[in-house]
Amino acid sequence: MRLNVSLIIGAILTFCAISIAVVSTFWLPYNPNLPNIPNRLLAAGSAEHWLGTDVLGRDIISQLMVGARTSIVVGAGGATISLVLGAIMGLIAAASGKIVDETISRVADIMLSIPGMVTALVLAATLGSGALTTIFALTAFFTPSFTRVARSAALSVLQEDFITAAQLYGRGRIFILARHVFPNIAGVLIVQFTLYFAAGILTEAGLSYLGVGVTRPGISWGLMLSEAQNQVGVSSPLAMWPGLSIVIVVLGLNLMGDGLRDVLDPKLSKSIL
Amino acid sequence: MTDSAMDVRDLFVGNGDLQAVRGVSFSIPVGGRMGLVGESGSGKTLTALAMMGLLPVGWSTEGRILHDGVDLSCQSDSQLSRRRGRTISMVFQDPLTALDPVRRVGHQIISLIRRHSDAGKAEATEQAKALFRQMNLPRPAQMLRAYPHQLSGGQRQRIMIAIALACYPQLIIADEPTTALDTTVQKQVLRTLDVAVRERGTALLMITHNLPIIAAICDTVAVMYAGRIVEAGPVAEVFSKPRHPYTMGLLRSQPTMDNIALDGSSRLPSIRGTVPPLQDLAIGCAFQPRCEFATDKCRLETPKVIEGLSCWHPIVLDAEE
Repeated sequence: MRLNVSLIIGAILTFCAISIAVVSTFWLPYNPNLPNIPNRLLAAGSAEHWLGTDVLGRDIISQLMVGARTSIVVGAGGATISLVLGAIMGLIAAASGKIVDETISRVADIMLSIPGMVTALVLAATLGSGALTTIFALTAFFTPSFTRVARSAALSVLQEDFITAAQLYGRGRIFILARHVFPNIAGVLIVQFTLYFAAGILTEAGLSYLGVGVTRPGISWGLMLSEAQNQVGVSSPLAMWPGLSIVIVVLGLNLMGDGLRDVLDPKLSKSIL
Repeated sequence: MTDSAMDVRDLFVGNGDLQAVRGVSFSIPVGGRMGLVGESGSGKTLTALAMMGLLPVGWSTEGRILHDGVDLSCQSDSQLSRRRGRTISMVFQDPLTALDPVRRVGHQIISLIRRHSDAGKAEATEQAKALFRQMNLPRPAQMLRAYPHQLSGGQRQRIMIAIALACYPQLIIADEPTTALDTTVQKQVLRTLDVAVRERGTALLMITHNLPIIAAICDTVAVMYAGRIVEAGPVAEVFSKPRHPYTMGLLRSQPTMDNIALDGSSRLPSIRGTVPPLQDLAIGCAFQPRCEFATDKCRLETPKVIEGLSCWHPIVLDAEE
């Protein structure tokens, strides 16, 4: 297989982010929620706090590490649940008769026409803010897109002769969907997954920034951004660190998605051999 | 009716007001080989799909499809799925799309053998290897681990034939099995199919528009035009002494070395006009607008089928011609 630069760079960046998130579950340099007033607003590069401290003297690196965990859990959680639900709905729509197909497709259209931020705000207002609510909002927002992608990909696979052949050899409908159709559309769904993983991280940061996502004692990059906002001009790098983290992780996921799209494209893979 | 592998009586296939197959009857004896010829759109493939109960959504059948002692046209889907592949199987036109691209070919054939028999995994693998060997596929063990895109068109089609033979069906329907292959491979694949079918005594329905293939492989032939069989009979008889003007036209439009002039000065004879759309089939003989012998009778009355022929003005050829 030929070397895919964007896939490799993207995979490395994503792997680093996930490693940091994993490390944060058992080891942190400092308690990210413990104020330390004498050390407040230390500049980056100090001996004990490499990236400095915030307005209450809390360690920035520790906060970024916990923030990575939040981003990845929320982004991956939202994208995974949407992927599973969307794939099931899409396959059902593609394989069923007109009534079921139309119902699923039109419901997906309606859900797509509601702005995701509004859904999230309403959910946060009714269910209370937090990581779980954010995952729930992302699921409501992303599932229709996955449904559409899965449905259209499944429809074209269902046209193929090997589906007719499987029917001819007595395979049931569920067997055909699970063992023939799903593996053939998995590549498209994986690409979609990485892109929505990134979109989920961005949405989570936005919601936390607005105060309807993760709140203390939870930590998210969006929350750090909104807290750093008051210190812009006093200690500008405070806002830079979470912003940079978001850029790096989202860029990594998008590069990986692009790379995977090239590698998994059935037309390209056929011409390799 | 136990002496025929497939007996189709007055088959109609339609979608709403559209009748694509209009009263087709034929019978294939056990171990017999029949060819079904016709232009694109004459209803060959729909006839085959109807025989397997795999018509696209919206299409329905009338008439009787007798196979293995039961009428397939009035079986439920679950009853059909139990017998599909076991007694009737099919070889598709395009071997690339007929194999699942993301699963190894070995997996596809072995899981089928295991589904239709109580063979264990090792036993099924041995059976698959034996089938591959019979199909003249090199290195069967490695071939089983290959994905479809790693194989050539001829190899894929041989694997399709192996899959079709896997459950010892009584009838194999081959829908233009060699159209997607190049000429040298065509011959090998056809020979393999021919030998395998002959050895097992499997009946064969060969759907094609390639008359030489029919002449080489089949015992009987049915010529379809616009949803009807216009002429049927033993291959030797139909091809040497065609009685229907359409059959005559088909035979005349086959390229041979005699009528191909390399300087391009000669033209291949063709039948004027095209197959009429299903919506506006005229009353009377469907071929009449393109027929040089058509009379008023042809325009008004649909010809009856007499001795496998449906024409008011059969051509009479001298025996020595």
